Amino acid sequence: MNNDITRAPARKNADQPPVLVYEEVRKLYGDFVALDGVSLQVHKGEVMCLIGPSGSGKSTLLRCTNALETINGGRVLIDGVPLPAQESAVRKVRQRMGMVFQSFELFPHKSALDNVAMGPITVLGMRESEAKARAMALLEKVGLSAKAGNFPANLSGGQQQRVAIARALAMEPEVMLFDEPTSALDPETVGEVLSVMQKLAQEGMTMIVVTHEMGFARRVADWVVVFESGAIIEQGPPAQIFEHPTVERTRDFLGHLGWNG
Amino acid sequence: MEFDFSPIADNWRFFASGLGVTVALSLISAVTSILAGLAIALLRLYGPGWLRPLLVFYIDSMRAIPVLVVLVWMYFAFPLLVGFTFAPFWAAVIALTLHIAAYAAEVIRAGIESIRPGQTRAALALGMSRAQLLRKVLLPQATIRMLPAFGSILTIAIKDTAIATVIAVPELMHRAETVAGQSYRPVEVFTAVMVAYFAILFPVTRGIDRLYHRVAHLGRS
Amino acid sequence: MTFDWSVIWTHRQALLEGAALTVGLTVLTMLLAVPGGIMLALMRLSSNRLLQSASLGFVEFFRNLPLILVIYWVFYVMPMAVEFQLSPLVTALVALVLNVSAYNAETFRAGINSIRKGQLEAALAMGMSRRQAMFKVVIPQAGRRILPVIASTWVSLFKDTSLVSVIAVSELAYTAMQIRAQTFRVLEMLTAMAVLYWLMGYPQAKLVDWIHRKYGVKE
Repeated sequence: MNNDITRAPARKNADQPPVLVYEEVRKLYGDFVALDGVSLQVHKGEVMCLIGPSGSGKSTLLRCTNALETINGGRVLIDGVPLPAQESAVRKVRQRMGMVFQSFELFPHKSALDNVAMGPITVLGMRESEAKARAMALLEKVGLSAKAGNFPANLSGGQQQRVAIARALAMEPEVMLFDEPTSALDPETVGEVLSVMQKLAQEGMTMIVVTHEMGFARRVADWVVVFESGAIIEQGPPAQIFEHPTVERTRDFLGHLGWNG
Repeated sequence: MEFDFSPIADNWRFFASGLGVTVALSLISAVTSILAGLAIALLRLYGPGWLRPLLVFYIDSMRAIPVLVVLVWMYFAFPLLVGFTFAPFWAAVIALTLHIAAYAAEVIRAGIESIRPGQTRAALALGMSRAQLLRKVLLPQATIRMLPAFGSILTIAIKDTAIATVIAVPELMHRAETVAGQSYRPVEVFTAVMVAYFAILFPVTRGIDRLYHRVAHLGRS
Repeated sequence: MTFDWSVIWTHRQALLEGAALTVGLTVLTMLLAVPGGIMLALMRLSSNRLLQSASLGFVEFFRNLPLILVIYWVFYVMPMAVEFQLSPLVTALVALVLNVSAYNAETFRAGINSIRKGQLEAALAMGMSRRQAMFKVVIPQAGRRILPVIASTWVSLFKDTSLVSVIAVSELAYTAMQIRAQTFRVLEMLTAMAVLYWLMGYPQAKLVDWIHRKYGVKE
């Protein structure tokens, strides 16, 4: 490992244009400033972890990425193209991204298999048999092919979240957005979800992960971004953030979490 | 098409007395229904076993029979059984109470049963008697939860008083029919009375919503 | 005071016809008021301010008026609005449909709103249109919550059909009270009327209980 941190760290695929660019993104909820001119770049195949205290804007930025929230200022660019305003164009963009929610949000009235197949059938217009075959393969990938017929009520939290990941992958997205994917899970099941995410990362998926799992960020992230009060206070490779943070407030935040490196 | 609202202005005292009867009938019926409903609910929950099926039968029967039927029966038929007549107003009070108390009983029962059993256990563990548990822990919490339902009991009572016109109770609806018939201006009269009823009912429903939001946190356990 | 209960039997034909009309009115009203309620709910949930206010106004209006007054009002106003004379039956139907649609609108709106926002977001995040998200994810779930309430509204409607007797529609209440007026058999006819309503209404009430148990919200 390189001990010379004075040299600017090389980012993954930095020679190629970034997949996602946030330019001075602002988001307001009434008077409350959730995002205060955030600028950030995400490179292809990068695993980016967004960390920081609750309410610091990490989840908000994620939700602005696929236009679940509309921004009040600045731009979000995907492959150099700004997010469109029209609903029908936004849908096309959303199809290129997959999102995994803290509360899983599996559709309770459908089985695991049908949940995963739903995107391809409804959105991509795929034939049912083809969609179900793809769904089965994905459930296998996350280790839940045996539970294909189960309804969400009969799946544990960790299992539900893994199905949710499969559901997002079914659309063959270019970017995966994870909004605190393990925050609602029992400690025993956190590991099974993180290992699926790690596998995805190893396969080269571009991932933006909002998380409190510092161990995961340390091990798997290529780039870590620290948020506070709607702004980025520090960003860099995990080695820098977790071992030699340059900003006082980063140290405070990590120390507060009991992170000792 | 010309409209002539003068019959309303000319008869405003007539209408005002009708409105007074509406208000009186509504309030009295709402109160008696809630009290009767409370008695029925408590008897059903804590009373002797043999009484329970009778009470359930009564409650379910009132869900099946229209209030119009109860009103008409109470005013015209009941006197034939017992030998004395009621004034329309009191026949209406009895009929409305009979009908609405069934609903009130269900509301109160649901309210009491919705409180977590842990509350009962905690109170009993402190050494409270069942009566104290009811009075000091269950009913206060249940009452707050039931406030919106009590509000709807009041709105139901107000709307049902209009039906009392069929047994000639001199409330607002009856006044409207009389004046409409005499003046040949039914559209104007009924429109004006519509505005009056809306003016009474709308604040009641809104008021209950507001009240509930203010005190809701006191009822959560 | 002597009672002659045979009048009920003598007039059984008319009473049964009245009962049939009561049921028919209930069915027909609900058939119209369910789509009516859905339309009003969708208007309220849409992003168009005008549609929202129109729907809200309509619902608040009919929920805050006694039905008997609405019946009278429609009876006198409709001949003015439509140039030709409509039968009391049609008038009654209009009043009932307007009233029940308003209640249904609230039921549908509350049912749809009770589904967690995250479900809608998960569907949108996949690239579904709002319409797809509503019809494939939100509405199927809301349906379970809405059905018991519609069932209760049905029973209330069944009882409320008795009110159209005031404009001489020959449903059960009107028929029974007419026979009473003709035969002077007050106790017998009024009791028969109550019993007939009970016979029809009691099973319906029990059915509603069953529906509430079966489709009760399991979170």
